Amino acid sequence: MAEAADNRRQDDKTRMTKSDDTQQTTPGALPAKPSHRSLAEWLTLMISMIILSLLVGLILYDWQVNQTRPPAFEITIDNSVRITDRRYYLPFAITNTGGQIARTVQVVAELHFPGAADEVAEQQIDFLSGHEQKQGSFVFTHNPLEGDLMVRVASYRLP
Amino acid sequence: MIERCPTNIWLAELQAILQGSAGGFLFGIPLLYTVEVWSIGSATEPEWLLVVLAVTLVVVWFLTQVEGFRQTLTLNPCEAVLESIEAVGIGVACAAIALLLLQRITFATPLSEILGKLVFEGVPFSLGVALARSTLTNNPLRMRRRVTLSRVTLSPTLSSLRDALVDFDATLIGAVLIAFSIAPTEEVSLIAAALPSLWLLLVIAASLGLSYTIVFASGFTDRAERQQRGLLLSPGTETLMAYLVALTASVTMLVLFRQLHPGDPWQEWLSDTLVLGLPASVGGAAGRILV
Repeated sequence: MAEAADNRRQDDKTRMTKSDDTQQTTPGALPAKPSHRSLAEWLTLMISMIILSLLVGLILYDWQVNQTRPPAFEITIDNSVRITDRRYYLPFAITNTGGQIARTVQVVAELHFPGAADEVAEQQIDFLSGHEQKQGSFVFTHNPLEGDLMVRVASYRLP
Repeated sequence: MIERCPTNIWLAELQAILQGSAGGFLFGIPLLYTVEVWSIGSATEPEWLLVVLAVTLVVVWFLTQVEGFRQTLTLNPCEAVLESIEAVGIGVACAAIALLLLQRITFATPLSEILGKLVFEGVPFSLGVALARSTLTNNPLRMRRRVTLSRVTLSPTLSSLRDALVDFDATLIGAVLIAFSIAPTEEVSLIAAALPSLWLLLVIAASLGLSYTIVFASGFTDRAERQQRGLLLSPGTETLMAYLVALTASVTMLVLFRQLHPGDPWQEWLSDTLVLGLPASVGGAAGRILV
Protein backbone atom coordinates (compact mmCIF):
# COMPACT_ATOMS: atom_id res chain seq x y z
CA MET A 1 0.00 0.00 0.00
CA ALA A 2 2.84 2.32 0.93
CA GLU A 3 4.56 1.44 -2.34
CA ALA A 4 1.37 2.16 -4.24
CA ALA A 5 1.04 5.57 -2.61
CA ASP A 6 4.68 6.31 -3.38
CA ASN A 7 4.17 5.37 -7.00
CA ARG A 8 1.08 7.52 -7.26
CA ARG A 9 2.91 10.43 -5.66
CA GLN A 10 5.75 9.87 -8.13
CA ASP A 11 3.25 9.98 -11.02
CA ASP A 12 1.66 13.16 -9.66
CA LYS A 13 5.07 14.73 -9.26
CA THR A 14 5.95 13.90 -12.86
CA ARG A 15 2.67 15.30 -14.07
CA MET A 16 3.15 18.46 -12.04
CA THR A 17 6.61 18.91 -13.50
CA LYS A 18 5.20 18.72 -16.99
CA SER A 19 2.29 20.99 -16.13
CA ASP A 20 4.61 23.51 -14.49
CA ASP A 21 6.82 23.53 -17.53
CA THR A 22 3.86 24.11 -19.78
CA GLN A 23 2.63 26.94 -17.60
CA GLN A 24 6.00 28.59 -17.60
CA THR A 25 6.15 28.59 -21.34
CA THR A 26 2.64 29.80 -22.12
CA PRO A 27 2.51 33.00 -24.20
CA GLY A 28 2.55 36.10 -22.09
CA ALA A 29 4.42 34.41 -19.25
CA LEU A 30 8.11 33.60 -19.39
CA PRO A 31 9.81 33.49 -22.80
CA ALA A 32 9.68 30.08 -24.47
CA LYS A 33 12.65 27.85 -23.93
CA PRO A 34 14.90 27.36 -26.94
CA SER A 35 14.30 24.16 -28.85
CA HIS A 36 16.70 21.31 -28.11
CA ARG A 37 15.88 19.14 -31.06
CA SER A 38 18.39 16.57 -32.17
CA LEU A 39 19.41 16.14 -35.79
CA ALA A 40 17.27 13.00 -35.98
CA GLU A 41 14.22 14.93 -34.74
CA TRP A 42 14.79 17.68 -37.30
CA LEU A 43 14.95 15.00 -40.01
CA THR A 44 11.62 13.54 -38.84
CA LEU A 45 10.11 17.02 -38.90
CA MET A 46 11.44 17.66 -42.40
CA ILE A 47 10.04 14.37 -43.75
CA SER A 48 6.69 15.01 -42.02
CA MET A 49 6.50 18.50 -43.54
CA ILE A 50 7.30 17.07 -46.98
CA ILE A 51 4.49 14.47 -46.56
CA LEU A 52 1.96 17.11 -45.46
CA SER A 53 3.04 19.62 -48.12
CA LEU A 54 2.73 16.95 -50.79
CA LEU A 55 -0.73 16.02 -49.50
CA VAL A 56 -1.93 19.64 -49.43
CA GLY A 57 -0.34 20.32 -52.84
CA LEU A 58 -2.05 17.32 -54.42
CA ILE A 59 -5.41 18.29 -52.89
CA LEU A 60 -5.06 21.80 -54.35
CA TYR A 61 -4.01 20.36 -57.72
CA ASP A 62 -7.01 18.01 -57.71
CA TRP A 63 -9.26 20.95 -56.79
CA GLN A 64 -8.02 23.04 -59.70
CA VAL A 65 -7.74 20.36 -62.37
CA ASN A 66 -10.40 17.74 -61.72
CA GLN A 67 -13.20 19.15 -59.64
CA THR A 68 -14.31 21.67 -62.26
CA ARG A 69 -15.08 18.89 -64.74
CA PRO A 70 -18.42 17.07 -64.31
CA PRO A 71 -18.63 13.28 -64.75
CA ALA A 72 -18.55 11.92 -68.28
CA PHE A 73 -18.47 8.27 -69.31
CA GLU A 74 -16.76 6.12 -71.87
CA ILE A 75 -17.78 2.50 -72.31
CA THR A 76 -15.64 -0.02 -74.14
CA ILE A 77 -16.91 -3.44 -75.12
CA ASP A 78 -14.60 -6.38 -75.37
CA ASN A 79 -15.49 -8.64 -78.28
CA SER A 80 -14.22 -11.77 -76.56
CA VAL A 81 -17.56 -13.22 -75.57
CA ARG A 82 -17.41 -16.14 -73.15
CA ILE A 83 -20.06 -18.86 -73.44
CA THR A 84 -20.88 -20.85 -70.31
CA ASP A 85 -24.04 -22.97 -69.80
CA ARG A 86 -25.61 -21.49 -72.96
CA ARG A 87 -25.21 -17.95 -71.62
CA TYR A 88 -23.15 -15.27 -73.34
CA TYR A 89 -20.92 -13.17 -71.09
CA LEU A 90 -19.91 -9.89 -72.68
CA PRO A 91 -17.10 -8.03 -70.82
CA PHE A 92 -17.19 -4.26 -70.67
CA ALA A 93 -15.22 -1.45 -69.06
CA ILE A 94 -16.59 1.94 -68.05
CA THR A 95 -14.37 4.95 -67.41
CA ASN A 96 -15.31 8.26 -65.83
CA THR A 97 -13.45 10.63 -68.11
CA GLY A 98 -14.62 13.65 -66.11
CA GLY A 99 -13.14 14.92 -62.88
CA GLN A 100 -15.95 14.68 -60.34
CA ILE A 101 -17.10 11.45 -58.74
CA ALA A 102 -20.38 9.87 -59.89
CA ARG A 103 -22.52 7.63 -57.70
CA THR A 104 -24.95 4.86 -58.61
CA VAL A 105 -23.99 4.90 -62.29
CA GLN A 106 -26.48 2.80 -64.19
CA VAL A 107 -25.23 1.11 -67.33
CA VAL A 108 -27.79 -0.44 -69.66
CA ALA A 109 -27.11 -2.83 -72.53
CA GLU A 110 -29.93 -3.51 -75.01
CA LEU A 111 -29.64 -6.37 -77.45
CA HIS A 112 -31.99 -6.26 -80.41
CA PHE A 113 -32.67 -9.06 -82.89
CA PRO A 114 -35.06 -8.47 -85.80
CA GLY A 115 -38.30 -10.31 -85.16
CA ALA A 116 -37.42 -11.23 -81.56
CA ALA A 117 -37.94 -9.66 -78.15
CA ASP A 118 -35.20 -7.29 -76.97
CA GLU A 119 -32.87 -8.45 -74.22
CA VAL A 120 -31.88 -5.89 -71.61
CA ALA A 121 -28.97 -6.23 -69.18
CA GLU A 122 -28.28 -3.71 -66.45
CA GLN A 123 -25.38 -2.91 -64.22
CA GLN A 124 -25.21 -0.45 -61.34
CA ILE A 125 -21.87 0.91 -60.14
CA ASP A 126 -21.83 2.44 -56.65
CA PHE A 127 -18.87 4.81 -57.05
CA LEU A 128 -16.91 5.96 -60.05
CA SER A 129 -14.27 8.58 -59.27
CA GLY A 130 -12.77 10.86 -61.89
CA HIS A 131 -10.54 8.84 -64.26
CA GLU A 132 -11.54 5.61 -62.54
CA GLN A 133 -12.29 2.53 -64.58
CA LYS A 134 -14.46 -0.38 -63.52
CA GLN A 135 -15.07 -3.63 -65.33
CA GLY A 136 -17.92 -6.07 -65.47
CA SER A 137 -19.91 -8.33 -67.79
CA PHE A 138 -23.38 -8.35 -69.29
CA VAL A 139 -25.09 -11.71 -69.52
CA PHE A 140 -27.33 -12.55 -72.49
CA THR A 141 -29.12 -15.64 -73.70
CA HIS A 142 -28.29 -14.80 -77.35
CA ASN A 143 -24.93 -14.02 -78.88
CA PRO A 144 -24.54 -10.23 -78.54
CA LEU A 145 -22.03 -10.10 -81.41
CA GLU A 146 -24.68 -11.29 -83.87
CA GLY A 147 -27.39 -8.83 -82.84
CA ASP A 148 -27.76 -5.07 -82.67
CA LEU A 149 -26.18 -4.08 -79.35
CA MET A 150 -26.50 -0.69 -77.69
CA VAL A 151 -24.69 0.08 -74.41
CA ARG A 152 -25.21 3.39 -72.66
CA VAL A 153 -25.17 5.09 -69.26
CA ALA A 154 -28.77 5.65 -68.27
CA SER A 155 -28.24 7.75 -65.13
CA TYR A 156 -25.92 8.70 -62.32
CA ARG A 157 -26.04 10.68 -59.10
CA LEU A 158 -23.70 13.33 -57.74
CA PRO A 159 -22.39 12.72 -54.22
CA MET B 1 8.53 4.07 -15.96
CA ILE B 2 9.80 0.97 -17.72
CA GLU B 3 10.81 2.87 -20.81
CA ARG B 4 14.48 3.28 -21.52
CA CYS B 5 16.09 6.11 -23.45
CA PRO B 6 18.69 4.98 -25.95
CA THR B 7 21.73 7.25 -25.97
CA ASN B 8 22.02 7.16 -29.75
CA ILE B 9 19.87 10.00 -31.12
CA TRP B 10 18.93 8.05 -34.25
CA LEU B 11 17.88 5.01 -32.24
CA ALA B 12 15.93 7.20 -29.82
CA GLU B 13 14.15 8.90 -32.72
CA LEU B 14 13.40 5.61 -34.44
CA GLN B 15 11.95 4.33 -31.19
CA ALA B 16 9.79 7.46 -30.82
CA ILE B 17 8.51 7.05 -34.39
CA LEU B 18 7.80 3.35 -33.80
CA GLN B 19 5.94 4.19 -30.59
CA GLY B 20 3.88 6.78 -32.43
CA SER B 21 3.19 4.35 -35.28
CA ALA B 22 2.10 1.66 -32.80
CA GLY B 23 -0.45 4.07 -31.31
CA GLY B 24 -1.51 5.09 -34.81
CA PHE B 25 -2.22 1.52 -35.89
CA LEU B 26 -4.05 0.74 -32.66
CA PHE B 27 -6.39 3.72 -33.14
CA GLY B 28 -6.55 3.69 -36.91
CA ILE B 29 -7.10 0.04 -37.80
CA PRO B 30 -10.75 -0.21 -36.66
CA LEU B 31 -11.69 2.73 -38.90
CA LEU B 32 -9.68 1.18 -41.71
CA TYR B 33 -12.22 -1.64 -41.79
CA THR B 34 -15.15 0.73 -42.34
CA VAL B 35 -16.49 0.90 -45.86
CA GLU B 36 -18.26 4.20 -45.17
CA VAL B 37 -14.94 5.92 -44.53
CA TRP B 38 -13.62 4.75 -47.90
CA SER B 39 -16.69 6.08 -49.66
CA ILE B 40 -16.79 9.35 -47.69
CA GLY B 41 -13.13 9.88 -48.57
CA SER B 42 -13.81 9.15 -52.23
CA ALA B 43 -16.76 11.51 -52.45
CA THR B 44 -15.46 14.50 -50.51
CA GLU B 45 -14.56 17.79 -52.17
CA PRO B 46 -10.90 18.90 -51.95
CA GLU B 47 -11.72 22.05 -49.95
CA TRP B 48 -13.41 19.90 -47.32
CA LEU B 49 -10.35 17.61 -47.21
CA LEU B 50 -8.22 20.65 -46.38
CA VAL B 51 -10.63 21.56 -43.57
CA VAL B 52 -10.44 18.00 -42.16
CA LEU B 53 -6.64 18.10 -42.33
CA ALA B 54 -6.53 21.47 -40.55
CA VAL B 55 -8.93 20.31 -37.81
CA THR B 56 -6.83 17.16 -37.33
CA LEU B 57 -3.72 19.29 -36.88
CA VAL B 58 -5.46 21.47 -34.28
CA VAL B 59 -6.81 18.47 -32.32
CA VAL B 60 -3.41 16.75 -32.42
CA TRP B 61 -1.84 20.01 -31.21
CA PHE B 62 -4.20 20.02 -28.21
CA LEU B 63 -3.34 16.40 -27.45
CA THR B 64 0.37 17.10 -27.81
CA GLN B 65 0.07 19.79 -25.12
CA VAL B 66 -0.83 17.02 -22.69
CA GLU B 67 1.13 14.05 -23.97
CA GLY B 68 3.03 13.87 -27.23
CA PHE B 69 4.53 10.79 -28.82
CA ARG B 70 8.02 11.78 -27.64
CA GLN B 71 9.25 11.40 -24.09
CA THR B 72 9.76 15.13 -23.48
CA LEU B 73 8.86 16.85 -20.27
CA THR B 74 9.60 20.40 -21.40
CA LEU B 75 7.37 21.24 -24.32
CA ASN B 76 7.14 24.88 -25.35
CA PRO B 77 4.27 26.02 -27.63
CA CYS B 78 6.49 26.15 -30.70
CA GLU B 79 7.77 22.64 -30.01
CA ALA B 80 4.17 21.41 -29.60
CA VAL B 81 3.32 22.74 -33.08
CA LEU B 82 6.35 21.00 -34.59
CA GLU B 83 5.51 17.74 -32.82
CA SER B 84 1.90 17.97 -34.04
CA ILE B 85 3.13 18.29 -37.62
CA GLU B 86 5.30 15.23 -37.07
CA ALA B 87 2.41 13.29 -35.51
CA VAL B 88 0.11 14.03 -38.46
CA GLY B 89 2.94 13.22 -40.90
CA ILE B 90 3.55 9.86 -39.22
CA GLY B 91 -0.22 9.25 -39.03
CA VAL B 92 -0.72 9.89 -42.75
CA ALA B 93 2.29 7.72 -43.63
CA CYS B 94 0.94 4.85 -41.47
CA ALA B 95 -2.53 5.26 -42.99
CA ALA B 96 -0.99 5.07 -46.47
CA ILE B 97 0.87 1.85 -45.58
CA ALA B 98 -2.31 0.31 -44.14
CA LEU B 99 -4.44 1.33 -47.14
CA LEU B 100 -1.83 -0.10 -49.53
CA LEU B 101 -1.61 -3.31 -47.50
CA LEU B 102 -5.37 -3.87 -47.67
CA GLN B 103 -5.42 -2.74 -51.31
CA ARG B 104 -7.82 0.12 -50.63
CA ILE B 105 -5.27 2.13 -52.63
CA THR B 106 -3.72 0.62 -55.73
CA PHE B 107 -1.97 1.98 -58.81
CA ALA B 108 -5.36 2.08 -60.54
CA THR B 109 -6.99 4.25 -57.84
CA PRO B 110 -7.67 7.80 -59.05
CA LEU B 111 -5.85 10.67 -57.33
CA SER B 112 -8.94 12.25 -55.76
CA GLU B 113 -9.96 8.94 -54.21
CA ILE B 114 -6.44 8.34 -52.84
CA LEU B 115 -6.39 11.81 -51.26
CA GLY B 116 -9.84 11.40 -49.72
CA LYS B 117 -9.04 8.02 -48.21
CA LEU B 118 -5.63 9.21 -46.96
CA VAL B 119 -7.04 12.29 -45.24
CA PHE B 120 -9.99 10.55 -43.58
CA GLU B 121 -8.04 7.45 -42.54
CA GLY B 122 -5.18 9.72 -41.48
CA VAL B 123 -7.36 11.30 -38.76
CA PRO B 124 -7.53 8.31 -36.36
CA PHE B 125 -3.96 7.33 -37.17
CA SER B 126 -2.72 10.85 -36.28
CA LEU B 127 -4.74 10.90 -33.05
CA GLY B 128 -3.28 7.50 -32.22
CA VAL B 129 0.26 8.79 -32.78
CA ALA B 130 -0.37 11.72 -30.43
CA LEU B 131 -1.93 9.45 -27.80
CA ALA B 132 0.58 6.62 -28.20
CA ARG B 133 2.54 7.18 -25.03
CA SER B 134 -0.43 7.85 -22.76
CA THR B 135 -2.29 4.84 -24.16
CA LEU B 136 0.41 2.23 -24.51
CA THR B 137 2.80 2.99 -21.67
CA ASN B 138 2.23 0.25 -19.14
CA ASN B 139 1.46 0.71 -15.50
CA PRO B 140 4.62 0.04 -13.46
CA LEU B 141 2.62 -0.70 -10.33
CA ARG B 142 0.68 -3.60 -11.85
CA MET B 143 3.75 -4.93 -13.57
CA ARG B 144 5.66 -4.91 -10.33
CA ARG B 145 2.90 -6.66 -8.41
CA ARG B 146 2.72 -9.44 -10.96
CA VAL B 147 6.49 -10.09 -10.99
CA THR B 148 6.71 -10.06 -7.19
CA LEU B 149 3.84 -12.53 -6.78
CA SER B 150 5.15 -14.96 -9.32
CA ARG B 151 8.63 -15.01 -7.88
CA VAL B 152 7.51 -15.45 -4.32
CA THR B 153 4.77 -18.03 -4.57
CA LEU B 154 5.80 -20.22 -7.47
CA SER B 155 8.79 -22.28 -8.55
CA PRO B 156 10.83 -20.82 -11.48
CA THR B 157 9.31 -23.20 -14.07
CA LEU B 158 5.76 -22.69 -12.86
CA SER B 159 6.40 -18.98 -12.65
CA SER B 160 7.60 -18.93 -16.27
CA LEU B 161 4.58 -20.95 -17.34
CA ARG B 162 2.28 -18.62 -15.45
CA ASP B 163 3.87 -15.53 -17.03
CA ALA B 164 3.62 -17.07 -20.48
CA LEU B 165 -0.05 -17.83 -19.88
CA VAL B 166 -0.61 -14.28 -18.62
CA ASP B 167 0.98 -13.03 -21.86
CA PHE B 168 -1.31 -15.14 -24.03
CA ASP B 169 -4.29 -14.21 -21.90
CA ALA B 170 -3.40 -10.55 -22.48
CA THR B 171 -3.02 -11.24 -26.21
CA LEU B 172 -6.46 -12.81 -26.28
CA ILE B 173 -8.05 -9.91 -24.39
CA GLY B 174 -6.42 -7.29 -26.64
CA ALA B 175 -7.24 -9.21 -29.81
CA VAL B 176 -10.90 -9.60 -28.83
CA LEU B 177 -11.20 -5.96 -27.71
CA ILE B 178 -9.99 -4.62 -31.06
CA ALA B 179 -11.32 -7.25 -33.46
CA PHE B 180 -14.71 -7.92 -31.84
CA SER B 181 -16.28 -4.81 -33.33
CA ILE B 182 -14.80 -5.59 -36.76
CA ALA B 183 -15.66 -9.30 -36.96
CA PRO B 184 -19.44 -8.97 -37.61
CA THR B 185 -19.02 -6.37 -40.38
CA GLU B 186 -19.00 -7.17 -44.08
CA GLU B 187 -15.73 -5.27 -44.56
CA VAL B 188 -13.69 -8.32 -43.59
CA SER B 189 -15.07 -10.41 -46.43
CA LEU B 190 -15.03 -7.38 -48.77
CA ILE B 191 -11.32 -6.80 -48.20
CA ALA B 192 -10.50 -10.52 -48.19
CA ALA B 193 -12.31 -11.08 -51.47
CA ALA B 194 -10.37 -8.28 -53.16
CA LEU B 195 -6.92 -9.49 -52.04
CA PRO B 196 -4.94 -11.77 -54.36
CA SER B 197 -3.85 -15.05 -52.74
CA LEU B 198 -0.15 -14.18 -52.62
CA TRP B 199 -0.95 -10.78 -51.09
CA LEU B 200 -2.13 -12.67 -47.99
CA LEU B 201 1.53 -13.50 -47.29
CA LEU B 202 2.14 -9.76 -47.02
CA VAL B 203 -0.80 -9.46 -44.59
CA ILE B 204 0.76 -12.22 -42.44
CA ALA B 205 4.16 -10.49 -42.55
CA ALA B 206 2.59 -7.13 -41.64
CA SER B 207 0.63 -8.66 -38.74
CA LEU B 208 3.78 -10.27 -37.34
CA GLY B 209 5.88 -7.15 -37.99
CA LEU B 210 3.39 -4.83 -36.27
CA SER B 211 3.05 -7.16 -33.30
CA TYR B 212 6.84 -7.40 -32.92
CA THR B 213 7.26 -3.63 -33.32
CA ILE B 214 4.65 -2.76 -30.69
CA VAL B 215 5.94 -5.22 -28.07
CA PHE B 216 9.69 -5.37 -28.67
CA ALA B 217 10.99 -2.68 -31.03
CA SER B 218 9.11 0.41 -29.86
CA GLY B 219 10.51 0.32 -26.30
CA PHE B 220 7.14 0.48 -24.53
CA THR B 221 8.28 -2.43 -22.40
CA ASP B 222 11.66 -3.43 -21.07
CA ARG B 223 12.96 -5.88 -23.65
CA ALA B 224 15.44 -7.57 -21.32
CA GLU B 225 12.75 -8.06 -18.69
CA ARG B 226 10.38 -9.57 -21.24
CA GLN B 227 13.05 -11.90 -22.55
CA GLN B 228 13.85 -13.22 -19.09
CA ARG B 229 10.21 -13.77 -18.29
CA GLY B 230 7.93 -16.43 -19.75
CA LEU B 231 8.45 -19.85 -21.26
CA LEU B 232 9.00 -18.43 -24.70
CA LEU B 233 12.25 -16.61 -24.39
CA SER B 234 12.75 -15.59 -27.97
CA PRO B 235 10.82 -12.47 -29.08
CA GLY B 236 10.30 -14.12 -32.47
CA THR B 237 8.70 -17.20 -30.97
CA GLU B 238 6.56 -15.13 -28.64
CA THR B 239 5.39 -12.98 -31.56
CA LEU B 240 4.57 -16.07 -33.59
CA MET B 241 2.66 -17.75 -30.77
CA ALA B 242 0.76 -14.54 -30.04
CA TYR B 243 -0.18 -14.33 -33.74
CA LEU B 244 -1.57 -17.85 -33.58
CA VAL B 245 -3.65 -16.83 -30.55
CA ALA B 246 -4.90 -13.79 -32.50
CA LEU B 247 -5.79 -15.97 -35.50
CA THR B 248 -7.64 -18.45 -33.28
CA ALA B 249 -9.57 -15.57 -31.72
CA SER B 250 -10.32 -14.20 -35.22
CA VAL B 251 -11.68 -17.43 -36.65
CA THR B 252 -13.75 -18.01 -33.49
CA MET B 253 -15.28 -14.54 -33.70
CA LEU B 254 -16.03 -14.95 -37.41
CA VAL B 255 -17.79 -18.27 -36.75
CA LEU B 256 -19.70 -16.84 -33.77
CA PHE B 257 -20.94 -13.93 -35.86
CA ARG B 258 -21.96 -16.34 -38.66
CA GLN B 259 -19.54 -14.74 -41.09
CA LEU B 260 -18.01 -18.15 -41.83
CA HIS B 261 -20.04 -21.29 -42.38
CA PRO B 262 -18.92 -24.92 -42.66
CA GLY B 263 -19.99 -24.93 -46.32
CA ASP B 264 -17.80 -21.97 -47.29
CA PRO B 265 -14.68 -22.73 -49.34
CA TRP B 266 -11.44 -23.09 -47.35
CA GLN B 267 -9.96 -20.14 -49.24
CA GLU B 268 -12.64 -17.89 -47.73
CA TRP B 269 -11.95 -19.23 -44.26
CA LEU B 270 -8.24 -18.59 -44.73
CA SER B 271 -8.45 -15.11 -46.22
CA ASP B 272 -11.16 -13.84 -43.84
CA THR B 273 -9.22 -15.13 -40.82
CA LEU B 274 -5.95 -13.56 -41.98
CA VAL B 275 -7.62 -10.24 -42.76
CA LEU B 276 -9.25 -10.09 -39.31
CA GLY B 277 -5.99 -11.39 -37.85
CA LEU B 278 -4.29 -8.08 -38.65
CA PRO B 279 -6.32 -5.92 -36.20
CA ALA B 280 -6.43 -8.86 -33.78
CA SER B 281 -2.63 -9.12 -33.69
CA VAL B 282 -2.28 -5.34 -33.20
CA GLY B 283 -4.80 -5.52 -30.34
CA GLY B 284 -3.05 -8.58 -28.93
CA ALA B 285 0.30 -6.80 -28.93
CA ALA B 286 -1.22 -3.80 -27.18
CA GLY B 287 -2.78 -6.16 -24.66
CA ARG B 288 0.57 -7.78 -23.90
CA ILE B 289 2.25 -4.48 -23.07
CA LEU B 290 -0.67 -3.18 -21.03
CA VAL B 291 -1.86 -6.16 -19.01
